[in-house]
Amino acid sequence: MDNVIEIKNLTKEFKVLNRHEGIKGSIRDLFSRDYKTVYAVKDVSLNIKQGEIVGYLGPNGAGKSTTIKMMTGVLKPSSGSILVNGRIPYRERTKNSQEIGVVFGQRSQLWWSLPLIESFKLLKEIYGIDSKHYDEMMEFYGTLVDLEPILHKPVRQMSLGQRTLSDILASFLHNPRICFLDEPTIGLDVAMKSNIRTLIHAINEKMNTTVILTTHDMGDVDALCRRIVIIDKGQMLYDNDIDHLRKFFGAYRTLKVRLKGDISENVKEIGAVLSDRDVTVSSDDEWISVLVNEDKCRVLDVLSIIQKDHKVKDMQLQEISTEDVIKKIYTEGV
Amino acid sequence: MIKKYTTLLKAGVMEMLHFRLSVLVLVAGNMLYLAVIYFLWKAIFDSAGTESVNGMTFESTLIYLVLATALFNFMEMYIVWDMGRTIQSGKIVLDLIKPMDYKNYMFWAFSGNVAAQFFTTFLPTFIVVALVTKGAIPLGTNLIAFAVSVILGIVINFNVDFIVGTICLYTESIWGINIMKQVIVLLFSGATIPLAFFPEGLRRVVDLLPFRAIYDAPLTILLSINGITDDVLYTIAIQIVWVIILEILSRGFWKISLRQITVNGG
Amino acid sequence: MNNKGLAFYIKIYGRILAQDLKSKMSYRADFIISMLGMIFTDAAGFITFWIMFRNFSSIQEWEYYEMLFLYGFSLIAITPVQCLLDNNWSLRINVREGDFIKYCFRPINLFFYYESEVFDVKGLGQLGVGVFTLVYAWIKLGLGCNVMMVLKVIVFLISASLFMMAMQNAAAATCFWIENSFYVLDLAFKLKDYAKYPVTIFGPVFRFVFTFVFPIAFIAYYPSLVILRPDNVPLLTWLAPPLGILFFYLSYRFWMLGAMKYNGTGS
Repeated sequence: MDNVIEIKNLTKEFKVLNRHEGIKGSIRDLFSRDYKTVYAVKDVSLNIKQGEIVGYLGPNGAGKSTTIKMMTGVLKPSSGSILVNGRIPYRERTKNSQEIGVVFGQRSQLWWSLPLIESFKLLKEIYGIDSKHYDEMMEFYGTLVDLEPILHKPVRQMSLGQRTLSDILASFLHNPRICFLDEPTIGLDVAMKSNIRTLIHAINEKMNTTVILTTHDMGDVDALCRRIVIIDKGQMLYDNDIDHLRKFFGAYRTLKVRLKGDISENVKEIGAVLSDRDVTVSSDDEWISVLVNEDKCRVLDVLSIIQKDHKVKDMQLQEISTEDVIKKIYTEGV
Repeated sequence: MIKKYTTLLKAGVMEMLHFRLSVLVLVAGNMLYLAVIYFLWKAIFDSAGTESVNGMTFESTLIYLVLATALFNFMEMYIVWDMGRTIQSGKIVLDLIKPMDYKNYMFWAFSGNVAAQFFTTFLPTFIVVALVTKGAIPLGTNLIAFAVSVILGIVINFNVDFIVGTICLYTESIWGINIMKQVIVLLFSGATIPLAFFPEGLRRVVDLLPFRAIYDAPLTILLSINGITDDVLYTIAIQIVWVIILEILSRGFWKISLRQITVNGG
Repeated sequence: MNNKGLAFYIKIYGRILAQDLKSKMSYRADFIISMLGMIFTDAAGFITFWIMFRNFSSIQEWEYYEMLFLYGFSLIAITPVQCLLDNNWSLRINVREGDFIKYCFRPINLFFYYESEVFDVKGLGQLGVGVFTLVYAWIKLGLGCNVMMVLKVIVFLISASLFMMAMQNAAAATCFWIENSFYVLDLAFKLKDYAKYPVTIFGPVFRFVFTFVFPIAFIAYYPSLVILRPDNVPLLTWLAPPLGILFFYLSYRFWMLGAMKYNGTGS
């Protein structure tokens, strides 16, 4: 298999003016040459093969979007090399755009006032999609989602879920080699999230499109990605199979409960009854959190143990977040 | 009392300075506008060959137009825009459930702005014009009458805006509604061309409209040499009549429109 | 424009326009009100001249119908900026909210793609008033009519519109560098109101400013001389078409430069 993306020692730095406070400071800033260099991306190397779905993770400001901007050709690297479909994206932005698709979870790229079908037809013109391929794609989409309720609806009248769905369909329409999906499930309800994941998976399977997925939702990663790349402060922390990470982490989830009675006493008691279960108990003002490794014991068991002696007023179940993963990588290494 | 206003003034200036560039551009824009007005009317009066036309000299025309512009910048509250946006975004509901009459709420919310704009736009212009023209603006009891007339003008302007803003309950084109209002108000209030130049027939129409009570009334009072005369009192009386009429009209229209909209479930 | 031809872009624009108009027609009341607003604004300019010339017979050597000619000419010349580049007004907000990035991923010219999103129909109202005024003044002046004159008017109208588009483009693009650029754009837009006066009424400083700094004299005055003062056409008039193209091209480069710079710093 060929690499569709080859990145070697990619670095992007910005010069930021050291600002001074007050009126005197702002006057000084006008003439100041006091710059400091900030690395948005530093020495990142990465190869991605055709057909892969790669989870590209990291906290806000980690350098994810800067990398994606360089891959899509809207931003020029400071140093290092980058090849997308064998091209240097920055030099050939429009040609590169022809073979990629981009979706931003909350910024629709469709024509706001037009019905979806008209947006599709315009994209057909813009990308020069031939009619045969277009019809095939529409038919294929028809088997994946119920197009009827959205096809003739102006984008402005759609729900967030419908809009995201439409954006994803639109981004795959011209059969791009690579699709960049930036937080495609943000703000969606559980059912819609699952729809979107199934959709991405099906298109990837059929068209063999490479998908670069940035997300904060580990659910997306679990459902779609075989491989994940983690970046923080511009530097790569992790690039490997997701199974590898799972092995290391185990399947952690956090059970949060609110109990009747005094919270600090409750924490002590629960800590005691669960002491042989390999869990970590902590608490904030109202909630008691129990970090559970599902490979070793089931969340339901933990809950039933707690319920034996305490009245549970409220409970939540949380997946481990990207932030938690990164925190753990920092403190413990991989 | 004074301190309160100086603090307000200071805060306003600080805020403006924060956008130094926008101040610069705004000042440049106003200078350019003044220059255009100056050259245009100079050319017009030069070509006319007479000192005064319809009782207006070059100087009085210029003073009138400059002050009218300053008055416009000071009194403009952009109520129509604001109402239009809150109506369209649905935020109007939040304003309606406040334990306060909506119209009063709007008026007091915006009057702070107007007070600030008085110091930033009208007062500096007025001082400059008074100094440059050396005594063309009489500084006597007419100032008191002017103050009263300006306040009435503000209330009339607000009422006109409120009526037009109410129309936004029926349409989404705030731009269209607002621009039509602005064009009519600016033209028929004498802010574009002094009313003295209007032909007789048109002036009779203008006299029947409320717009001249917004800018022309206070300006005429400000520029009247003989202090508080019967004419001045008459002008203020007309303004008061307009305040009453528009107050009734705007409240009625708002009430009816609101009922209609809630029935339609808009 | 890149490797795709002009025909491609015209076709795309046509399709977007057709769809856009269709969807706008479903909000007919709004459409009519906007159109009326535009016509009101432009008609007010007409009325202003009418009132003015009830009191004065001429401004310098310019008489009523000649002033109307200039006014009509300027209205037509600013129609393209109104219709085609209206999305420049949203540029500032798109940049501030970070939405601008979404325009950068299409395999077509960025500037074209961005501006093609909005066609401002109410500009056609302006065109209507402009054409009416120009024709009315033309007839009243008894200028006569031949193919050459019409051709000249069309060429000079296009070049005049390029100046206005260039100014608005450059002003809008300042938002890539400065906050609160609304005032700059607003100023550039208001300048068009001064284009209807013959530049000779201004003093030497402002004549220079309006010719070379904010080139509004090219929007109506210089090009109109071809028809109104055919015996005495200054060099600048003949330079208007190439200068217009140059100004527009520079403003386009400036706009693109800003767009690229923005992508480097925007989140």
